[in-house]
Amino acid sequence: MGILDKKLSLRNRNKMIVGVWEDEDALMDATSEISHKGIAIHDIYTPYPVHGLDRIIGVKRSKLARVAFFCGLTGLILMTTMIYYMYVIDWPINVGNKPVRFTPSWIPVMFEGMVLCTAYGMGFFFFWRNRMLFGVKNDLLDERQTDDRMVMAVELSDSINEQDLISTMKNKGAVEVREFHHGVQTVI
Amino acid sequence: MIHDSIIRERLVTGDKTAADVTRDISRPILNRPSNAWKIGFTLSVIFLAIFVISLGYTLMTGIGVWNINKSVMWGWDITNFVFWVGIGHAGTLISAVLLLFRQKWRMSINRSAEAMTIFAVVCAAMFPVFHMGRVWVGYWALPLPNAFGSLWTNFNSPLLWDVFAISTYFSVSLLFWYIGLIPDIATIRDKVKTKAAKYWYTFFAMGWTGSTRSWARYELVSLILAGLSTPLVLSVHTIVSTDFATSVIPGWHTTIFPPYFVAGAIFSGFGMVATLLVVARKVMNYENYITIGHLDAMTKIIMVTGSIVGIAYLTEFFIAWYSGVEYEQYAFINRAFGPYWWAYWSMMSCNLIAPQVFWFRWARTTPWFVFIMSIFVNVGMWFERFVIIVTSLHRDYLPSSWVMYSGSLTEIGLFLGTFGIFFTLFFLFAKYLPVINMAEVKSILRNRE
Repeated sequence: MGILDKKLSLRNRNKMIVGVWEDEDALMDATSEISHKGIAIHDIYTPYPVHGLDRIIGVKRSKLARVAFFCGLTGLILMTTMIYYMYVIDWPINVGNKPVRFTPSWIPVMFEGMVLCTAYGMGFFFFWRNRMLFGVKNDLLDERQTDDRMVMAVELSDSINEQDLISTMKNKGAVEVREFHHGVQTVI
Repeated sequence: MIHDSIIRERLVTGDKTAADVTRDISRPILNRPSNAWKIGFTLSVIFLAIFVISLGYTLMTGIGVWNINKSVMWGWDITNFVFWVGIGHAGTLISAVLLLFRQKWRMSINRSAEAMTIFAVVCAAMFPVFHMGRVWVGYWALPLPNAFGSLWTNFNSPLLWDVFAISTYFSVSLLFWYIGLIPDIATIRDKVKTKAAKYWYTFFAMGWTGSTRSWARYELVSLILAGLSTPLVLSVHTIVSTDFATSVIPGWHTTIFPPYFVAGAIFSGFGMVATLLVVARKVMNYENYITIGHLDAMTKIIMVTGSIVGIAYLTEFFIAWYSGVEYEQYAFINRAFGPYWWAYWSMMSCNLIAPQVFWFRWARTTPWFVFIMSIFVNVGMWFERFVIIVTSLHRDYLPSSWVMYSGSLTEIGLFLGTFGIFFTLFFLFAKYLPVINMAEVKSILRNRE
């Protein structure tokens, strides 16, 4: 799946119902209610992290921690191998006639290499999973979703009762409900 | 169930809404620069020019324009290196260690402290790099295949550990800072009007939309980076301290150095954070975000770390006496009562005695007083490194080699010049990027428990 996959663009999706909230608590209530009705929420866009929303809409726990572990392990092995090759195999240095083998003085470089690989490996995985790249155009549903508004997007399917969804959103404090189709939004 | 706390004091005052936060924090970016910014920036560029001239003179003439000599081979340069690296540590402490301890007050100050870390490490790197003399062969410090019979770098040397530690520290801090900036760059992207600004903020926002999935990953990545940065920051100054501690110079050869240097780094870093933020909150009207509560918390850390450093000074003296090694004993007596007594007592009074005033609440909560004390901390910590380096080197085992050392005009110019680098970068940061983490501050407006 490419980072700039057009299928992921909101414009290429089916008709969507978009609810806009200004209060975090009202949004949480609305999300719980809509999820309990068995309606799959496409995503919610917020200007700051709202804890708990991810669990309600069924976001799985990210594999970032595992990726971080394996990147760290790779860094550690790489650095150890590098030092071993340079110091033991290629050009052993006789220091006070001590045996040429692993010594604790290798640890700082091994550690720094491990940290560097973990951080950057995980960083790149984070960008890849979020489909982020320098210069990627943003797909905003509301100009203020990075300012003070919270936006919920529900992709319509045959099993979803559109009118019921709209009235639930309105009853649960949505300040605006819109229909989104092929990049055009209409206020309902 | 989530409740609004009625006990804890609010972290952000002034009943701000999320929209207020965006407006207040993005004001300097969206508007034309203020006069205060213009004056500050011009002054910084003047100091930057001093750096360029001093460095140009050093490179054209040679390292001989510094006053370092046969016994004092490390002078102002390594003093300045350790001083700047230390300053960087507060940024990582605030953003990483306080995140792990769930200290939410860090949210208003972490962005500027992290920026400070990066700029300080840039300043620090200048000194060992140019002290090498032939800087154009600086890449010899890296383990690269070469034509000298595969003579690799020495992995037993703390100086090589430093190459890895400082470059890793800089790279990881930059990544941590940038990932934290992305949501705020996206906010600015959606606010700016001009075409050029729109292009660049769009470029660096990487298509951020604030989706719940992204936020979940963002929080996890921040947590893991914090978990990584914590041992990293401890390792960096531990390694810097081993530059000294693994030698056999009296006054350097002590096992207390790693914890003592780390505490000192945090102490000096918080000193610089306090210096910058007391001014920034006033000039940029951020008093509701960087509150008296923040100053209170920071000064408590200054007091604790200052006391740890003070105990380390006294312990060194005790151990020198207790060891029975006369070279070691002389090194410490010479520090306090020798020709550099003024540097030693400046260090003691600024680092050990002055911060004790923060036992009083008034001292912790009066911005102008905190500013003055933070300057004492900065001065004291520079002297600490000067004392450790110069007093230990100018008189060691062989009295016929005893010398005196004082910085040359070029060395002084280089040091003042790094303030030019630091503040030029800081002023540019304050103009083009949000100084306070908007997204995180919005999440603590409600004072939730």
